[in-house]
Amino acid sequence: MIEVKHITKSLPDGKQILKGISFVAEKGDFIGILGPSGAGKTLTMRCLNGLTKPSSGHIYVNYENRIKDISKCRGRELREMRQKIGVIFQGFNLVKRLSVLDNVMIGRLGQINSLRSLFYGFTDSEAKEALQALENVKIAHLAHRKVASLSGGEMQRVAIARAIFQNPVMLLADEPIANLDPSNAKKIMKLLKPLAQEMPVIGVFHQPKIASEYCNRIIAIKNGIVVYDGSPNLSEKKLEEIYGEEFNALEEATMTPTLAYS
Amino acid sequence: MTTLQRQKTLGKILSFIAFCILVYYAAKLCRVDYRIFKSGIFEGFQFIQELFPPDFGALGEMLYPAFETVLIALLATILGALISLLLAFGGAANLAPAWLKFVSRFIMVAERALPEIVIILLLVAALGLGAFPGVVALAIGCLGMLGRLFADAIEEVNPKTMEAVTSVGASKMQIIQYVVLPEVMPSLISNVLFRFEVNIRLSVLLGAVGAGGIGYEIFYSFQLLEYERASTAILVVLFLVFSSERLSDYLRKKILPTGKLK
Repeated sequence: MIEVKHITKSLPDGKQILKGISFVAEKGDFIGILGPSGAGKTLTMRCLNGLTKPSSGHIYVNYENRIKDISKCRGRELREMRQKIGVIFQGFNLVKRLSVLDNVMIGRLGQINSLRSLFYGFTDSEAKEALQALENVKIAHLAHRKVASLSGGEMQRVAIARAIFQNPVMLLADEPIANLDPSNAKKIMKLLKPLAQEMPVIGVFHQPKIASEYCNRIIAIKNGIVVYDGSPNLSEKKLEEIYGEEFNALEEATMTPTLAYS
Repeated sequence: MTTLQRQKTLGKILSFIAFCILVYYAAKLCRVDYRIFKSGIFEGFQFIQELFPPDFGALGEMLYPAFETVLIALLATILGALISLLLAFGGAANLAPAWLKFVSRFIMVAERALPEIVIILLLVAALGLGAFPGVVALAIGCLGMLGRLFADAIEEVNPKTMEAVTSVGASKMQIIQYVVLPEVMPSLISNVLFRFEVNIRLSVLLGAVGAGGIGYEIFYSFQLLEYERASTAILVVLFLVFSSERLSDYLRKKILPTGKLK
């Protein structure tokens, strides 16, 4: 379980991007975060796994019967928290020169001691688990290929396998399908959905239609605050309210694949 | 012609005149004299005649010094590459704090400013004659170039990949081992092989000022006016340089998919 309590974030120039975001996510939740560009969606995600420190507020993560505020953790404690949070990204962010299996293994780097990691000391049972994670995303046959030779859809599967192998208590997905064609995007959503039965899955999406189809809860962020939190069945009117001027461009974007490489 | 075209043409003519004046005075200061060149060429041909036939009887005596030259270059490249890598970690903005980057980059620039011949003269004064000062001098000679190239390669590693691995809770050491090293390895190997070729040539040069090896043979033969023996040594050097280039080309192609120097 994760509880986000009134987080705010200001840039060094004083501009406030997040103006008090609050929500609770629990096991079973597959949350789609929507909102116009610049609303603070990605920044919220970065706060959730401690890559960015919020200016104020709390993010309580509940794991192993302990509750800790990740926004207050530093150093070793922060690294311990991050081990418990799986993240997948828009750009996949894999180590391209390593094999698929090695990339999955990296998911557990934080959990093994430094002497073992120095000698690449993963055990056979861990390798089996990593292969199982690849089996779950249906690319076990690619285990020994170099990541650089994979397609975008395959790379995102590797990233999901890396997150699964990590054994997290929640999964964050920052625009996981924005770089994929519609068919691959749907396949990735189909892989993410069942994971929500074991842990909260929170994703930022650009395509409200796909998000509504697969998520069981939508949170909309606009100008740094939560303007909607509830059922994935959003009316056209509600969407227009959320996206404002971007609404018309949005309709087009859902029809054609997004080529927004960043 | 328009006014603009006329101005441009005038500018070109003026810069050409300025260039001619520069070349004229440079030649005058350097005492370029065609007559000296003409008689010099004639004497040069006579001298080259004295180099023939090479004294192949001395080939046996050349083997050990040639071997020594290769060993000096090899040791120096390995030692230099290791120190350069450490220096590069310090000199990469994405790994090191600003003060360390400044210190590391300063060492590299200072080394680049010192020609190898100056370093060897200093080291011969400090450590005495022999192969060891040669190894140390060439190893130091690597730092400016390899350190700089390694550091630049490290800075080019995708920051998002590093962030992704940070977000599984990995430590900085683990990020270096599992992300940075694999991603920079091709450029590392390629540059080290290239530096090995350079070091072979330089170790011949350094031999002449007392670092041992085949360079010393050439120097020594010239001193004793044994030109035929010297020409054998020159042939051995040609062979060494040529085969080291072939070898490093071959290895580079074999190890790297593209085989180009980056």
